[in-house]
Amino acid sequence: MLGLFGILNLGAQSMQVQQQGVAVAGHNLANVNNPAYSRQRITITTSSTLETSLGPQGTGSQVTGIQQLRDVLLDRQITTETSVTGFLEAQQGALESGQAVLGQTIDRNGTQHGIAEALSDLFGAFQSLSTDPTSLTERQAVLQKAQTLASQFNQIDSGLNQLKSNLNESLQTDVTQVNELLASIADYNKQITAAEAGAPGAANDLRDSRQAKIEELAKLVNITTTAQATGAVDITVSGVNLVSGSTVADTLQTYDAGGGRMLVQTQSGGAPLPLTSGMIQGTIAARDGGLKDLQTHLDTLASALIAQVNAVHSGGFSLTGSTGANLFNGTGAADISVQGALLGNPALLQASGVSGAVGDNQVALALAQLAGAKQGALSNATFSENYAQTVASLGQSLSTVNNSIDDQSVMQKMLASQRDSIGGVSLDEEMTNLVQFQKAYAASAHLITTVDEMLQTVLDLKR
Amino acid sequence: MSKVRQNQKPKSQGFGLWTLDFGLHPNTAMRVTANTFSDSLIDQLNALSTRQQRLQNQATTGQRIQLPEDDPAAMERVLNLQTEGKAVAQFKSNIAHLTDMAQASYGVMTGLKKISDRAGELATLADGTKSPADLKLYATELTQLIKQGVQLTQAKFQGNYLLSGTRSDQPPFALGMDANGNVTSVTYQGNESVPESEVAEGVTLSSQVVGANGSGTGPRGLITDSRFGADFFNHLISLQNHLLAGDTGAITATDRPALGMDEENIVAHLGNNGAVQARLEASAAIASSRGDSLEGRVSKEADADLAQTLVRLSQTQNAYQVALQSGAKLLSQSLLDYLH
Repeated sequence: MLGLFGILNLGAQSMQVQQQGVAVAGHNLANVNNPAYSRQRITITTSSTLETSLGPQGTGSQVTGIQQLRDVLLDRQITTETSVTGFLEAQQGALESGQAVLGQTIDRNGTQHGIAEALSDLFGAFQSLSTDPTSLTERQAVLQKAQTLASQFNQIDSGLNQLKSNLNESLQTDVTQVNELLASIADYNKQITAAEAGAPGAANDLRDSRQAKIEELAKLVNITTTAQATGAVDITVSGVNLVSGSTVADTLQTYDAGGGRMLVQTQSGGAPLPLTSGMIQGTIAARDGGLKDLQTHLDTLASALIAQVNAVHSGGFSLTGSTGANLFNGTGAADISVQGALLGNPALLQASGVSGAVGDNQVALALAQLAGAKQGALSNATFSENYAQTVASLGQSLSTVNNSIDDQSVMQKMLASQRDSIGGVSLDEEMTNLVQFQKAYAASAHLITTVDEMLQTVLDLKR
Repeated sequence: MSKVRQNQKPKSQGFGLWTLDFGLHPNTAMRVTANTFSDSLIDQLNALSTRQQRLQNQATTGQRIQLPEDDPAAMERVLNLQTEGKAVAQFKSNIAHLTDMAQASYGVMTGLKKISDRAGELATLADGTKSPADLKLYATELTQLIKQGVQLTQAKFQGNYLLSGTRSDQPPFALGMDANGNVTSVTYQGNESVPESEVAEGVTLSSQVVGANGSGTGPRGLITDSRFGADFFNHLISLQNHLLAGDTGAITATDRPALGMDEENIVAHLGNNGAVQARLEASAAIASSRGDSLEGRVSKEADADLAQTLVRLSQTQNAYQVALQSGAKLLSQSLLDYLH
C-alpha cells in the first residue's frame, strides 16, 4: 500500500506531469504562427503499479514522451508539389518578362507600339511612296518607318539577350542557395541523429526545421528524400545522392553548355543533371523553350524581311539614277539597320523600276505588295501573319503556365490545409488544454496539501 | 477527413516519425485551426482582389484583351485584323490621291477641249470669204492657242508633270518657234508609261494620262495617239501655217477633219476620266465599308462587354466586402474572450 509519503510523491509527480502538459501547450501557443511547426502532445501513461495485499495499486502517471503530429505521406506530397509549383512559377516569371520585352499589346484607346504596327507603317509608307515616287517627304517617311522597325527588332533582340543573361545569373543564385540548403539539411541530420541517439523521434523541433529546409530545397530542384534509422534524411536529385546522413555527398554547379546556355551539373560528376522540376528547371525550360523560340522567330522574320526588301530595292533606280543598293543592312534582328547613305539622302531610295523615269513606281509598288506576299521562309505566311503567330505562340505558352499555376495553387492549398488540420495549432484547443492541465495541477497541489495535513495529524499524535 | 481524437494512440512509422491513424468516418469535419482560417481568408481576399483589379482594368480600358497571355488566339486574330485595317486605310489614302490626280487631269482636259472648240471654229471661219488679213489674224490667235495649250499641258500635280508619263521631272512638251513668233514645232518629251497604285489587294489603277503615244500600245495619248489619228498640236500648227498661207482649201480638206479627230480624242479622255473617277469612288466606298466591317470584328474580339463587366465588378466588390466583414468578425472571436 502506498503510504502517506508515497501519496505525497504521487501528488508531486502528478504536478510535474501537468506542468509538462502546460509547457507543451505553451510551446504550441508560442509557435502558432510558425508555418514550419507541427503541434506536439505529451504522452501520459500510468506509472508502474505497486503490488499490495489488495492487488496491484497505481502510483500515478508519468510523461513517456512528447509526440509530434505530422503526416509523412502528406509531407512527401507537399514536397513534390512544391517542386512543381516552383517549376511553373519560374517559367511564368521568365515568360512574363519575355512578354514585357516584346512589348506587343492591344490598345484600343491609345496607340499601339509594337512590331506589328511598325511593319504596317513601313508597308503603308511604301504604298504612299508608290503614289508619289519623286516626293522627298514620302521617301523620308519610308526611311523613318524602316529605321523605327529596325530599332524595334534591335531593342527586342537585345532585351531578350539581357533577359537570358539575367536568367543565367538567377540560375547561379539558385544553385548557390541549393548548396547552402544541402549543407543546412546535413547539419540538421547531424543534430537530430545526436539528439535521438537514445530517444528515437524526440527531436521534434529540429525535424520541423529540417522539413522546412527540405521544402525550400524542393522549390528549387526536384528531390527525393529517404529516411534513415538514425533519424537522418538522405537527399537525392535525379538519382544523384547529394546528402547522406550528416555529410554533403555532392553539390551543384552551373556550367556553360555552349551558346550562353547555363546548365546544372554536380561538382564531382561533371555530367549534366537531368532536372525534372523546381525553379531551376523552370528557368532553364523557359529560357531554352518559349524565350528561345521567340528570339529565333523574330530573327527569322527580320532575316526574311531584309532579304525580300533588298532583293526588290536593289533592282530599282533612285532619283539620281543610281541602282544596286540595299535598303537594309544586317542579317537578322540583332543587326538590322537602314543603309546610312539612304538616311543621309532620301533621293537615293530606289523606287523606280526604269532608268531615267523618276516618276516610275514599280519598285515602290513591289515593295508595298510584299506586305501581302506569302513568304516561303516564314512557312508561307506574310510578314505580319508570321509576327502575329509568334506573339500568339508566346501568349499561349504563358497562358498555359498561368492555367497550370491556378490548378497547382488549388492542389497546394488543399495539401496545406490538410497538413494544417493535422499539425496546425488551434488556439482554442491549446487554451482548453491549458485550462485542463491547470485544473489538474491545482487538484494535484490540493492532494499534496491534504496529505500534508494528514502527516501533520500523525505528527501531532506524539507530543 | 476524420476528427482527431485527443487520446488516439499514435502509430509509429519507424525511424522516430510519428503519425496519427485516420479512419474515414461519415459526417466528420476537418479540423480547422486559427491559421487555416486566416490563410483561407487571405487567399480568398487575394483572389477577389485580383479578380476585382482585372475587371476594373477591363471596365476602364473597355478591352477584354490587352496582352498576348489574355487570349492568345484572339490576340493573333486582332493583330491580323488591325494589319488588314491599316492596309485598307492606306488604300483609301491611295484612292484619294488618285482621285485628286484625276481631277487635276480633268482640268487640263477641259482646258484643251475649249482650245479645240475655238480652233475648230477658226477652221470653219477660215473659208473663201475671208481676206488674207483676216486669215492672218486667225493665225495669230491660233498661235496663242497653241502656246496656251502647251502651257496647259505643263500642269503639275504635287510637283510632278501630269502628262509626261513616268518621266514626270520633264515638261511633257517643248515648244519650237521661229523668228516671227510663230510656232514651228511641239515635241513630246515624256514617255508612254503611267504609274499604277493599289486601291485594293492586288488591284491597281492609274488616273494619269500620257501626253503622247505613238507606239500603238499602252495608254491613250491625250495630245497625240497614232491609233486614233490624234496629233493635236501638230494639227494646230498645220492650221496656223495654212492660215498664214491663206490656203483655205487645205484647211477645209485637211485641217478640219484632223481637228475633228483631235476633238474626239479629247472627248474620249474626258469620258475615260469620268469613268476612272467613278471607279475610284466605288473603290473608296468598298474600302470604307470594309474598314467598318474590320473595326466591328476587332471590337468583337478585343472589346469588353461593358454591361457584363460592370455587373461582375459589382458582384466581386460585394463579395470582397462580405469576405472582409465576415473575416473581421470571425477573426476577433476566440476562447480568450471568455476565459477568466
